[in-house]
Amino acid sequence: MKAMVQNKRFLSEKLCTLTLTGDEGITSASPGQFVMVKVNEAFDPFLRRPLGIMEVDGNTFTLLFEIVGRGTKMLAQKNVGEELDVLGPLGKGFSLFPSFGILVAGGRGIVPLYFLASTLARTGIPFVFLLGIRSREELPLLDFLEKFSPVFWSCEEEVPGGFCGDVVALLQQYLSSVSLPVGTRVYACGPEGMVRALCRVEMLRGIPVEVSLESLMGCGFGVCLSCGVEKKDGKGYYHVCKDGPVFLLSEVGL
Amino acid sequence: MNLAVSLGKMKLSNPVILASGTCGYGKELVSYLDLNQVGALTIKSLSITPWKGNPPPRVRETCGGMMNSIGLENKGVHRFLEEDLPFLETLTTRVFVGIWGKTIKEYVAVAQELEKARRIDAIEVNVSCPNVEKGGATFLEDEETLRRLVAEVRSVTGKFLIVKVGPQVRDWGKVVSIFEKEKVEAISVTNSFPALSVDVEKMDFFFHLKFAGLSGPAIKPLALKMVYELLCVTALPVIGMGGIATASDALEFLLLGARAIGLGSYTLVNPSSALQVLKGLEEYLTRKQIDDINSIIGKVR
Repeated sequence: MKAMVQNKRFLSEKLCTLTLTGDEGITSASPGQFVMVKVNEAFDPFLRRPLGIMEVDGNTFTLLFEIVGRGTKMLAQKNVGEELDVLGPLGKGFSLFPSFGILVAGGRGIVPLYFLASTLARTGIPFVFLLGIRSREELPLLDFLEKFSPVFWSCEEEVPGGFCGDVVALLQQYLSSVSLPVGTRVYACGPEGMVRALCRVEMLRGIPVEVSLESLMGCGFGVCLSCGVEKKDGKGYYHVCKDGPVFLLSEVGL
Repeated sequence: MNLAVSLGKMKLSNPVILASGTCGYGKELVSYLDLNQVGALTIKSLSITPWKGNPPPRVRETCGGMMNSIGLENKGVHRFLEEDLPFLETLTTRVFVGIWGKTIKEYVAVAQELEKARRIDAIEVNVSCPNVEKGGATFLEDEETLRRLVAEVRSVTGKFLIVKVGPQVRDWGKVVSIFEKEKVEAISVTNSFPALSVDVEKMDFFFHLKFAGLSGPAIKPLALKMVYELLCVTALPVIGMGGIATASDALEFLLLGARAIGLGSYTLVNPSSALQVLKGLEEYLTRKQIDDINSIIGKVR
């Protein structure tokens, strides 16, 4: 679909949000799904960029991304009124009916979890939102969470009001202070190091953890098989674009 | 206007073919295009048993293209016949199926399995993969093994037989005489180019296996030269491919004498691009007041 930029906002030097109006195809998007965005009409950069969906309102949707290379840099240079070629929504999202949700986001991993939190809030399902950021630079991400409660956040540098450390340590502190209802699920998205650290959290034993993974991708619709992630049993690969991007932490080998 | 072309005895409704590895097992593309509108689709290369492929990372973008190190991951011929053939039987277009093996015996076994499926119109033998019995060099690099491979697959299949070659070919004359003698019916040119990329942050090779296949618009001029040179030494029909993204790209291959063209990596970017290429071919012929696409094939020699 063609999607027109309605709004662009820089949260920091590296973090940018684009709000776009597409067609009715996007209205069916569910939390955890993503789109493949072509950053220009030329053949260079050649591939689309996979970006998580943060918010959908009718046929308008919001993407939040970090400028990590030349593709995302070009995307951040788009202006209101410009059109982008977008495929999606794609992939398999989060399960939506826990009795209680623990949402754990690291940096730009906030994207699918913000969408999930909005959906849970609408359906009246209780949850807690834990956000970890690396530095003060990323503090504007906290503004998105104002409408949710409770929210806890951590920063790897000392900032008033925040837990000093990483989000997995914050999660451990949280888990040791509460008793969780049956049917609790953890939902996570963040850097590879954070996801690996989650695998080692003893207190998560017995609690299903759904994790949204990021991967280099060719197509986004299950054809090229570029986005392999090893199965836990070592017997082959899942493909992040089609089998995921959301997986049970227990089924992937990280 | 006539867009129908023929590769020897194989008739196609038009010259646009979806290349192996970029259209999956077919089904994956149905929400993006009507598969019956393309001349043929080529199912990604199948092996006799499921093959898990290479460890990630498997893809890296390059200037005007991409590198891949998928490592021929596929579900194996048996699961393909069970899970995907019923869908392919609902199509009216041509269905080509890629095959590969680590040994000649494995190629032959896949070809034998496919022989039972009447819906499959052609077998495309991918000879650009490593021969484990010869220390991992590709089948293309050893002419005697290549001859045996082609002859043994030919002996077990009555299907239209295509061989897909890559830039590893050392001597086109020798390779072509093998194909002609062993009754290969068409040649697909080219597979991706072996290439290399370095991860400067990790100070290491980007891909675990060092080399990966370069494809996309960046390789088009190289592929065109291969097609041109190949057509200097054979009368076998050639399916030209390598970096085609637009009708104009496709026309370059057709004008050089390719009888059909393969759309590869660009389908990954724009899954409905085959239809745009087809429309562009029609517009070109209309603009040039040509009513049969066959009259432009080989016009630039």
